[in-house]
Amino acid sequence: MRGFGDLEAVIMHLVWDHGSPVTVRELFEELRQERAIAYTTVMSTMDNLHRKGWLDRVKEGKAYRYAATASREEYSARLMREALVGGGDTEAVLNHFVAEMDGDESEVLRAVVRRLAETEQRGQSG
Amino acid sequence: MIAALPVFGYSVLVAWWLPVLLTPLTRNGAGARLGIAAWITAMASVLSSAAVAAAFLIRSAINGWSGLAEAVCRSVAGGACTPVIYRSALYELGLGIAAILVTLTVIVLVCRYGRRIQQAQRQTRAHAEAARITGRSVPPDSSGMVVVESSRLAAYCVPGRPSTIVVTTGALSVLEPAQLTAVLAHERAHLAGRHHVLVALTRGLAAIFPAVPLFKRGQSEIARLAEMRADDAAARRAGRRPLIEALLAMGTGSAVRSAVPVPAAALAAAGYAVVARVQRLMDPPTRSRQARFTLALSGLMTVLPAVSGLIFVLAAGS
Repeated sequence: MRGFGDLEAVIMHLVWDHGSPVTVRELFEELRQERAIAYTTVMSTMDNLHRKGWLDRVKEGKAYRYAATASREEYSARLMREALVGGGDTEAVLNHFVAEMDGDESEVLRAVVRRLAETEQRGQSG
Repeated sequence: MIAALPVFGYSVLVAWWLPVLLTPLTRNGAGARLGIAAWITAMASVLSSAAVAAAFLIRSAINGWSGLAEAVCRSVAGGACTPVIYRSALYELGLGIAAILVTLTVIVLVCRYGRRIQQAQRQTRAHAEAARITGRSVPPDSSGMVVVESSRLAAYCVPGRPSTIVVTTGALSVLEPAQLTAVLAHERAHLAGRHHVLVALTRGLAAIFPAVPLFKRGQSEIARLAEMRADDAAARRAGRRPLIEALLAMGTGSAVRSAVPVPAAALAAAGYAVVARVQRLMDPPTRSRQARFTLALSGLMTVLPAVSGLIFVLAAGS
């Protein structure tokens, strides 16, 4: 098992894959098949995820049933909005490989690609 | 009072006029590393001499106010002006207010800057966590890469512990394996070079001094130069050609099978950031050109700290 943070990711993906709300016990049984893990570790990780707003929970008898607060797709979309809307409400320092560009720049780059392809063709035939 | 003016004047001069000189010297990234150093040196020089000027102002307000008060008082009231008047509580109050105002301004600016940096750090950490949880990490090569399900094209790194490189499935669909290696090498170079620190510090300065050209210009130029530094590292590690292909693929949104690096003076429209990077990779600056830029930048980097040093020595001596 790698870091604690990774366990959060693993558990979220299990919850998402599960679809319906799930108990700590159910997830623990699933996790135990692929890694050595303690029930309390799963419980505290899910408690953390609930505290951080990733999981909702409803009391059912003595235990809680957990569900994701939003789907994986919604979280991905939110993440991309944050990453791609430059100078928006996030101050996060992200280094993009290619900064978001306007249509003009894309068009210029497309022309570059076309020209390079032509150059190469000429090189091969000549 | 007298000493503060030339020192402050020097700050203003460098802050307003140096960008005009420095921008063309660092624009094409002939020596990207030296270029970054030159911008940072200029910013440090301006900040330190402005701080000295503020300290001068506060001190002379404290030491010299009574003399000034006396002069003003005499010019208005002549012989009727007595020490009882110009050393009255009113003048003492004026003296206090002036010193307090300057001090407060400095404190407010420093606090605002600190808060911005802190906020950026917090949001960066939150973004990294969200990316690690939402995306699927790619464990085999422990590259720290996280794949996020999205049709949008994005590849970026988020500094932190651990640092994360986020790549969308959209980006993966247009990148060949060798090109992806180049993208990862570029992002790893950002992380290894701690470029996020530079970006965060200069972005904070530009935000609290939006009207100062050196900080505003310097911030965007440093960001550009950091891209070029990362490009150089990626080209060394993963090859120039896959890197160029990756830039073109991510820029156009469609796969690029091959892009033979040609000395492409024909690319022309270099006003665009990515076009300029592609051009620079295809047609790197010659050695003699680099030497010229190195010489000019080194000169600047000797003069600026020398002047700042001189100001400090004079300030300490006076």
